[in-house]
This record gives sequence, C-alpha cells and structure tokens, in this order.
Amino acid sequence: MPHESIQTLLNANEEWSQSIIKDSPTFFTQLAIGQNPKILWIGCSDSRVPESVITASKPGDIFVHRNIANQFHLNDDSALSVLTYAVKAVGVEHVVLVGHTNCGGAAACLQAAKDAAADTDASQPETPLTRWLSPLIGRIQSLELSTCSAAEALNKVVETNVHMQVDNICKSEPITTAWADPNAKKVTVHGWVYDLARGRIDELVCREAKHDENSA
Amino acid sequence: MSHKPIQTLLNANEEWAQSVMKDTPDFFARSATVQKPKILWIGCSDSRVPESVITASKPGDIFVHRNVANQFHLHDDSALSVLTFAVKEVGIEHVVLVGHTNCGGAMACIEAAKGVTTNSTASTPLTRWLRPLTALVRSLDLSACSASEALNKVVEANVIKQVNNICKSEPITTAWADSGAKRVTVHGWIYDLAEGRIRELVVRDAQAKL
Repeated sequence: MPHESIQTLLNANEEWSQSIIKDSPTFFTQLAIGQNPKILWIGCSDSRVPESVITASKPGDIFVHRNIANQFHLNDDSALSVLTYAVKAVGVEHVVLVGHTNCGGAAACLQAAKDAAADTDASQPETPLTRWLSPLIGRIQSLELSTCSAAEALNKVVETNVHMQVDNICKSEPITTAWADPNAKKVTVHGWVYDLARGRIDELVCREAKHDENSA
Repeated sequence: MSHKPIQTLLNANEEWAQSVMKDTPDFFARSATVQKPKILWIGCSDSRVPESVITASKPGDIFVHRNVANQFHLHDDSALSVLTFAVKEVGIEHVVLVGHTNCGGAMACIEAAKGVTTNSTASTPLTRWLRPLTALVRSLDLSACSASEALNKVVEANVIKQVNNICKSEPITTAWADSGAKRVTVHGWIYDLAEGRIRELVVRDAQAKL
C-alpha cells in the first residue's frame, strides 16, 4: 500500500521547519522551553476544522482537544483532564467550544434519533461510538424538528450541541472552582460554530463568572 | 480581563477565509460537502504541536484527536469513537500516534512515579488519565539517566505503548483480520520541539502481524 500521503506529510514537515528556521532561527528553541497559550480550543476531529489553520495561529497559540462532535461530557476523563491541565497548569484565559456545520457526528445523531422515534433501531449492540453519541442523541429527541428541512434540522442540532457542551463546561470542576475564587485567573467560556461553506467562525454564546455568581 | 486573544483569533479567521476565497473561490463550497482525509493524527493537546501547521496541511487533510500526553487507552470511549469513525466511516489509511519532546504530561508522570503509591490520594480526572503512563514510567529503568534522558526515554516508551494499544483495538484488529477491508497502517512518531521535526519511531501493519 502506498505510503504516499505519509511521505508527503513528512516532506512538508521538513520544508516547513527549514523555512521557519530561516526566518526566525530561535523560534523552535524558544518554544521548547515552555508553552503559554491563552486559549483552549475544544472542537471536532473533522479534518476540515484544523483550529490553527483557520485562525492563522502559530505553534504555542492554542491548547487543543478534538473529538467526535466536539463533546464535553462531565464523566469523560479525557476532556476533563485537558480542561484541568489547561486551566490549572497552563493558565488559559479562554475556553472556546467549537461546533461546525455539516458535522458527521451530529448527522449520525439526528439519524439515530429519527430511528429511535420510528422504532426502526432494532436493538443495536452498544459500541464506543454509540455510547459516545448517546447524550447528544438524547438531547435531539427533545427538539422540535418536525417543521425543519433536513439542512435546518442539522443546523439546529449543531447549535443545540454547542449550547449543551458549553453548559457542561460551565458546570465542570475546573471552571466552577475558577469562577468561585476571586483570586483565580479569570476564565471565559465561548461557544462558536464554524461555517464550513464560508470558512468563518460565528460566535453563539459567551459565559463568564459574573453571570454565574447569581446562582451561587 | 482582556478578550484580545479572542478578537485576534476571530480577526485572523476573517482574513484567512477572505484570502482563501481570493485564491481558490470554490475551496469552501467544495470541502463543505464531504471530507476524505487519509490520515488520522492522535497527538498531544500541547499548543506547540498543531498537526496541520507543522505539516503544512490544509483543511480536509488530517482527521485529528488530541489529548493530554497523546494517550490511547483501550477503555477510553473518546479515543475509541474517533478511531472507529475514522476507520469505518471516513476511511483513513494511516493512523499516526505522535508524541513530542518536553511533554508536560510525561514530566508529570515522572514526578508522580517518584512519589509513594497510595490509594488514599484523591483521584482526579487528570491523575486517573495519567495513571497508565505513570505505571509505564515505573516499569522503566531510569536510574542511570539524566533528567532530560529520562524524559526522552519516557516520551519514546509512551509512543510505543500507545501504538501497541491502537493495534489491539477493535477497529484495527478487525481491519487487519479482514482481507477485504481497506488497508490501515499504524505509525508511531516523535515531534522534536527544538527542531520542529518529526521522527519516525515505529510502523505496524497487517503484514507484520502474519
């Protein structure tokens, strides 16, 4: 089997590193000392949403966690360890939860919710992927999508998903702790949607300590 | 608190999108319909290792999963769902597991391994997450190593361990057992932060297993 795609990647890495060293000879050695990103990006694994390319960011700018359908489950050690490390060890000031249009995970959930409603999902064996998507499928079942076209329904699911994950992040220990402590570094949580067809990020929601103090 | 980094990011996104449209007017419309990456990158969340920048890749090239210390735990639904989706739905042909020098997660495990093992220490998501790597560190003989040699040894052992895990996972064992399935190769790499260079450590595919 051709390893062409792999060789292409490795060659591109060689060229890239050489061009960086030519322009700024100390770039890498400086970066090797430590990282100080101000932003944690929690996004989808989708190949079309590489956070650093679409924001023209450099190595060192953004701490990143990407998974299927940009989830933040409150019982997921993977996401929780990233958020904990980002807030407490790295000191990020912003957490951006980024969904995107035409999300395959969201589309799969929409289909699964329809199948469940039509009772056509004759007991499927549980897999890591179905378990992973079950919270979002559950949420979709409570949405009113009957008057939506397929495209409208998917957009509604993508947006609802972003709100849902932002809510989860705001309930997590690293965030509630940071928000309850007046001496802690301020952290703001943002919910965004990346529109694949325009290449543009749209802001959906922004949450910070001020608003949540009322519920303390 | 300053939202300057956020505004900078959003402004940069606007400029980037405009410049892409100018160069290739149909780029976004085309990529919106479908993705066909050949590579799944499983790497560290570290801000200094953005896979698409260091490989000069474009949107659509690489399917990505990044977590603390580039782990692939066989009981982790997050990583397993990514691998499952990537292999079975997206049809990737290569899985690259990428560690890197000066990994903070690896450093934390070296420190943790020196401490006394006690079950009374409250477990947090982060300590639970790093438990397998901490156990791996304990299994290594680092007594004759300097601090930086020890870290490099741990980073390499970690890559090999995660590659082994990936090769034992259901999506890979299924693909390798099925002669009709698309071929998938698993690679273990290390990204050297000080040089900006990727180094190949190990490669595994179905053939090697036979």
